[in-house]
Amino acid sequence: MKDYEVVIGLETHIQLNTRTKIFCSCKADSWEDEANTNICPVCSGLPGTLPVLNAEAVQKGALLAAAMHAEVNPLSRFDRKNYFYPDLPKGYQITQFDEPIGKGGYLDLKMADGTKKRVRIHKLHLEEDAGKTKIEHGTRLVDFNRCGVPLIEMVTEPDLRSGEEAAQYLIQLRQLLRWIGVSEADMERGHLRCDANVSIRERGSQVLNTKTEIKNVNSIDSVRQAIGEEAKRQIELVESGGKVESYTLDWDADRNKLSLMRSKETEADYRYFRDPDLLPVKLSREEIAGIMAALPELPLERQARFVTEYGLSEYDADILTNERSLSDYYEAAVGAYTGEPKAVANWMMNDLSRMLNDLGKTADQLVLGPKALAEIIQMIDDGKINAATGKSLLKKVEESGSRPAEIVEKEGLGLIADSDALRAQIEAVLADAPDEVANFKAGKESLLGWFVGQVMRRTGGKADPKRTRELLLEMLRK
Amino acid sequence: MSLTSLSAFEVARKVKAGELKAVDVAEAALAQIRAVDGLPGSLDGGAVSADEEKKVHAFIQVTEKMALEQAEKVDQAVARGEDAGLLAGVPISIKDIFCVEGTTTTAASRMLSNFRPPYTATPVRRLIDQGALILGKVNLDEFTFGSSNESSAYQPATNNPWNTDHVPGGSSGGSAASVAAEEVALSLGTDTGGSIRQPAAFCGVVGLKPTYGRVSRLGLIAFSSSLDCPGPLSRNTRDAALMLQAMAGVDPKDSTSSTRAVDDYLSTLGQDVKGLRIGLSPDYDAVYYPNFETGELHKEAIQKEVHETLYRSAELLAKAGAEIVENVPMPNTAYGIPAYFVISRVEAASNLHRFDGVKYGYRTESAVSNLSELYRLTRAEGFGPQVKLRILMGMYLSAAGHDADYYTHAQKVRALIRQDFVRAFEPDGDHRLDALLTPTTATTSFKRKAVFGNSLLMQYSDQMTVSSNHAGVPALTIPAGLDEAGLPIGIQLIGNDFREDLILRIGHAFEQVSRDEAWRKVRPQVLAGEVKA
Repeated sequence: MKDYEVVIGLETHIQLNTRTKIFCSCKADSWEDEANTNICPVCSGLPGTLPVLNAEAVQKGALLAAAMHAEVNPLSRFDRKNYFYPDLPKGYQITQFDEPIGKGGYLDLKMADGTKKRVRIHKLHLEEDAGKTKIEHGTRLVDFNRCGVPLIEMVTEPDLRSGEEAAQYLIQLRQLLRWIGVSEADMERGHLRCDANVSIRERGSQVLNTKTEIKNVNSIDSVRQAIGEEAKRQIELVESGGKVESYTLDWDADRNKLSLMRSKETEADYRYFRDPDLLPVKLSREEIAGIMAALPELPLERQARFVTEYGLSEYDADILTNERSLSDYYEAAVGAYTGEPKAVANWMMNDLSRMLNDLGKTADQLVLGPKALAEIIQMIDDGKINAATGKSLLKKVEESGSRPAEIVEKEGLGLIADSDALRAQIEAVLADAPDEVANFKAGKESLLGWFVGQVMRRTGGKADPKRTRELLLEMLRK
Repeated sequence: MSLTSLSAFEVARKVKAGELKAVDVAEAALAQIRAVDGLPGSLDGGAVSADEEKKVHAFIQVTEKMALEQAEKVDQAVARGEDAGLLAGVPISIKDIFCVEGTTTTAASRMLSNFRPPYTATPVRRLIDQGALILGKVNLDEFTFGSSNESSAYQPATNNPWNTDHVPGGSSGGSAASVAAEEVALSLGTDTGGSIRQPAAFCGVVGLKPTYGRVSRLGLIAFSSSLDCPGPLSRNTRDAALMLQAMAGVDPKDSTSSTRAVDDYLSTLGQDVKGLRIGLSPDYDAVYYPNFETGELHKEAIQKEVHETLYRSAELLAKAGAEIVENVPMPNTAYGIPAYFVISRVEAASNLHRFDGVKYGYRTESAVSNLSELYRLTRAEGFGPQVKLRILMGMYLSAAGHDADYYTHAQKVRALIRQDFVRAFEPDGDHRLDALLTPTTATTSFKRKAVFGNSLLMQYSDQMTVSSNHAGVPALTIPAGLDEAGLPIGIQLIGNDFREDLILRIGHAFEQVSRDEAWRKVRPQVLAGEVKA
């Protein structure tokens, strides 16, 4: 068998998280709403209605374009894509054809082996979503709630080479969308939808062979599996002397199977032309500058900075920049803490992340803020509490909302570092163990640990271990 | 003078002064409709009696209850001493292409014969807010596609009140006829290539196509979105100014509506025209038909009486103090219709996509086995032949590979046509016009069935009007005489962007200077037998 490589381009539809739809004032998100409850004459295509562009959709679209390193077009336009389908009430979709909001761009993927892979963006444009249809008891039903929900359609160049790379693209795109706050990017809710174009060629070849399009690969696993299946099918087909045809395939995620939707030979003519109901979208130099200024530091940039600025490992920096809120939390905690940034990272990677998982929260939703975390670590460093108390404090602060120091004070969790109090406890321990004291004095100094343990037991763990050791030595050697 | 002959301006003045009850105005209009209109247009309305042949048939739907309720409100407002609005108690008809809540809005098509819109078009809303009484919905060519009203699915189609064997023009034929027959004082029409002005000229009334964007299109069932303009039809320029005043202005629900402040059209109307520069262009002396074999343009002179009326009108305006500028070149006028063919059909085909039998309107009653059959049968049965022709043409012209040839090319022609106007109006250019004076139509109204069926010839009746739609500039038609057959002749004043004030003022001056001419005493045929109070 020849050595083949898979060539993949992804077409994604990203639902922008605007409050209202792109061309009317209906609520955009209908996830939990009854069918046809978020509709009006405009988005249900009544005669005589006209679209009015939502400025928030333009801003978020432009922000995404900027985050993808695309050129934000100062002038973009809307066109009509004409076709008949019951979920498309106007009989045309308003979209951007030849003058979209963004041109070019790329997304750098960090790969498992530590390398970076650049995926170029072919096209990035704004458009309105269509509704949904389903067949129930032999009747076709239409729900227009989704009509007019703002989407960004983003198409990559054929730069991906495996199902795993395609999956990584989606994972890292999803991270970016949430990072810059333009989409909830929840694939289960259809905020991020994906179609994959797949072809194969002999490794080393530069030709683009006939591709197939797989529709509805709407989860990370689906992308990985569907592309794998399709590549396998194409290779087997070509190896047995067959020829890949330009099919549209459907991925059935329940059965992990591809099925033929239609042959692409009779491709529709959408008769694109400018939508005369909308004015061109003009973004001034100032507006574009404002959008660029609103663009936060991106995940990969922040990861690199965490390594150089805080001395974190690549691994730690990667985990801490998975979500923007987590990395913001980290920086705020480091800022409030006087010790090594690495210590904060350790706390966040272990105890705090466990707590986030248990509570199902993101870092910005915690009651336990970054300053409180820094305060807890600081108290351990200063010997005011021990590590175990510190860990228990995480939960207590989260539940009560009180400051860590207040809780320590109120519940008496502080370590006994006071010499007199500690001395009294030690005297009692020594008085109870005359044999061990004798042995120690006879030279068996390894018993020191045992004495520390006894003091701890007696004080319920609240003795400052360092101070205890010092006092023990002082008193035993007297 | 009877109540129904009163101008809108007079009605509003008297109603607001308490001299006249809006309810009496509404009753008088309803009585006039009963007297002259005959059977309302209906689907499958077949042949009618000889008596009905002499009726106007402007209305598809008379909204008696709505009009009377609105009249009550106006009278109550006046009684309370409130401002009852610019159009207090003025009876108005609405071309049945505007959505009006509480009415069926048919577009004169079987496709929308059962469509009850849940909202009211912005221009209609503004008329109602200014105290107008909505008397009903009037007939038009199906989806506004035509120039004679004959393509309406609602028959009998409207007749010309001046001679009921003749067409009223179109597509706002019902609007023009209802105003001419004194059923209403005003009507709201739409103009895409001349659809207000051509019927206004044919019926001897005033029609104004405002600047594109001056009046909101929200609620107007779109034909060609980049060309469609709602506008007034009236019996004099003051009434047109009044109605425009009530409707004009930005609409946040129409992105293409202009944010420019609205002028006070009434206050400048009475000013004289001394020193205003009014142009005449030889390019409006003829119409041009392309030879489809060779592509050459064949030239045909306009009707002699129309030409004479135009030049006589220019002399009257000169007498009133205007400066007449002759030989203004408008070289791209001849290409207006071909460019219009392309642009309007491409946009229309897309605008008509939504009529698919799924959500509202007509749906085939035949059993269908799949979705595509539902679409095909619904559209085959719901649309009339003129609509299908335009869809086919639009689909063809916008098909992949064609758009560069046709649509893009037509847009370039459109830009050239606009350049003609820009040059003519340039304040430091060669001509420095305040308005261009042209015929509104090449001929007076033609007989029923004389042109209908010849889609091409019908379209060329819009040659004098279509250029201002391409350019977006305002254009006004006013009655200026009668031909030998006693049919009205209209002249057109085309102004610069947003200079409705100027063309209305010139039109008003023409009304003054021609006030005592004999043709002004002649009444339309359907009113001739009336005993006047």
